[in-house]
Amino acid sequence: MPAPVLQVKNLSVSFQTYAGVVKAIRGVDFDLKKGETLAIVGESGSGKSVTTKTLLGLNAQNATVSEESQILLGEENLAGYEESDWDQVRGAKIAMVFQDPMTSLDPTMTIGKQIAEPMEKHLGMSEKEAFAAALALMKDVGIPDAEKHINDYPHQWSGGMRQRAVIAIALAAEPDVLIADEPTTALDVTIQAQIINVIKAQQKKRDMSVIFITHDLGVVADVADRVAVMYAGKIVEKGTVNEIFYNPKHPYTWGLLSSMPTTSTALGSLHAIPGTPPDLLYPPKGDAFANRNAYALDIDHEKQPPFFKVSDTHEAATWLLDERAPKVEPPVEIQKRQAFWQENFVKEG
Amino acid sequence: MARYILKRVLILVITLWIVVTSTFFLMQILPGTPYNNPKLTASAIEQLNATYGLDKPVIVQYWDYLINLLHGDLGTSFQYQNQSVSMLIGQRLPISAQLGVQALIVGVLFGLWFGALSARHQNQKLDGFLGVVSTLGISTPSFILAIVLLFVFGYQLNWLPVSGWGDSFSQTVLPTIALAVGPAAITTRFVRSEMIEVLHSDYIQLARAKGIGEGQVIQKHAYRNSMIPILTLIGPMTANLLTGSTLVENIFSIPGIGQQFVSSIPTKDYPVIMGTTIVYALMLMVMILITDILTAFVDPRVRLD
Repeated sequence: MPAPVLQVKNLSVSFQTYAGVVKAIRGVDFDLKKGETLAIVGESGSGKSVTTKTLLGLNAQNATVSEESQILLGEENLAGYEESDWDQVRGAKIAMVFQDPMTSLDPTMTIGKQIAEPMEKHLGMSEKEAFAAALALMKDVGIPDAEKHINDYPHQWSGGMRQRAVIAIALAAEPDVLIADEPTTALDVTIQAQIINVIKAQQKKRDMSVIFITHDLGVVADVADRVAVMYAGKIVEKGTVNEIFYNPKHPYTWGLLSSMPTTSTALGSLHAIPGTPPDLLYPPKGDAFANRNAYALDIDHEKQPPFFKVSDTHEAATWLLDERAPKVEPPVEIQKRQAFWQENFVKEG
Repeated sequence: MARYILKRVLILVITLWIVVTSTFFLMQILPGTPYNNPKLTASAIEQLNATYGLDKPVIVQYWDYLINLLHGDLGTSFQYQNQSVSMLIGQRLPISAQLGVQALIVGVLFGLWFGALSARHQNQKLDGFLGVVSTLGISTPSFILAIVLLFVFGYQLNWLPVSGWGDSFSQTVLPTIALAVGPAAITTRFVRSEMIEVLHSDYIQLARAKGIGEGQVIQKHAYRNSMIPILTLIGPMTANLLTGSTLVENIFSIPGIGQQFVSSIPTKDYPVIMGTTIVYALMLMVMILITDILTAFVDPRVRLD
């Protein structure tokens, strides 16, 4: 098995605020292999974006990455980096596609220049070489009539085209890891598919690893090889895309999947997870999901569950997987999925 | 572009006409006459009135003034006999303008520097210190500052001359500082808030994610974007400084246009009042036009048509 491109171990990030210390990320582990796509899913405030911003050292000044955290990119541990160290990582090794293309391009600089900038910096290109390379890259990400539009300003472009430009900027210095932070959330549905296809095509062409942040499970099914489900600053379940979609083990994942409308969802019957996520100023002592969890056991309120292995690629942090736990019936929607899992993925015998 | 400027110039002329008209009639409401000298006899006053056309009906005077104005003739001063208003303004405006340019350069440079510094050290000690200093700078009237500067550096320390103009550059130092502190303080506050907003924007985060270094991020992306609103502040500020400060010019005995404007009002020197008002108005409007054109150069989203 090839060594992972990126390994995150025991990552904890907290923010110093006037009200106190907010523990936004509370011990996150994952790794990313060459060429694969890892989707990180979870609701707003679960820590998806903070996790990825930490990978680029882009958190606000009041953020602290804990001493024990490790972000291993090859031999390097990025977790201890100073501001000046980050510049050789950003763009060159890890690059990011941001959420809102309407606001993430500099309105006073031509798009061509904005794409050329990382090339000049990281690939040692001259202004002229970078301009030519930027033009080629613009064509590559599907910007029509690139020659004509390379000197355009962002306001002259539509959202979908701008997001292609943002992708081109991220790809400019040929990174090993691309982080796509909800790259389609701000776009309308027809454009979403195009943007996802651009990212997928470029990933294949460059054998690049992608971390895809989203709260849209439909997108996850489309892009991901593996999925990590985040809740209240922790990963609660991770596995291959099929394991998460058809054999989920954590009640939070059940809730997420049940909340997803499908073609068979009856009119007016859309499920929602009750309650709100906990305040991370005062994280609960037990499982952070316990208060919203219909399947919560007494121990959930007392003690944080460890990860229980389901398969070599699948683990979930819920006491339900403990051998002493009572057997529970998951929601109907999940039972249907598990039946599908039994039929299609479990080998006979 | 040319079409836009033409349109703006046309609007400028109309605005100027409105300014001229309203000032002209407002002036007529002013109590008193230009003849303050009690020795003047009734017949002498009558003769003077005839000389300056003040015996005609107001509406005729107004019409004459407009016609003369179109010929570039601003009339003759009552106060300084036989001196044309254009000549008076021509002598004094450059003095005020030099002082204004000096104050503008000092004020804006310090404002940009302190503002950027404050923004980059937001909510740290330096930011707090500059916040207090700039608030003080905004709230201290320039004439108070002028008197303090004069007392400390001119009288007590005897480092710099206390008054006068044209003999040495050192005479301009204290009035320049007195005039520059206010604009510097206002620019500091403005640049700070603009920079903070820009530094928190999505495109700055994207620029940071490129790994080009914080210096480049600020130079290439933050400055230009925060300059756009600052231009709109500096334009009118320039007009204000170039046309002189009455109080500061008085305190330092500088023969600028501001001093003249004030002295023309109690003496009812109608042509000088009109002339200086026109210069003020024109200067302000031209500066605003220049600001708008510059903004279009800096900000590609602004189209001038």
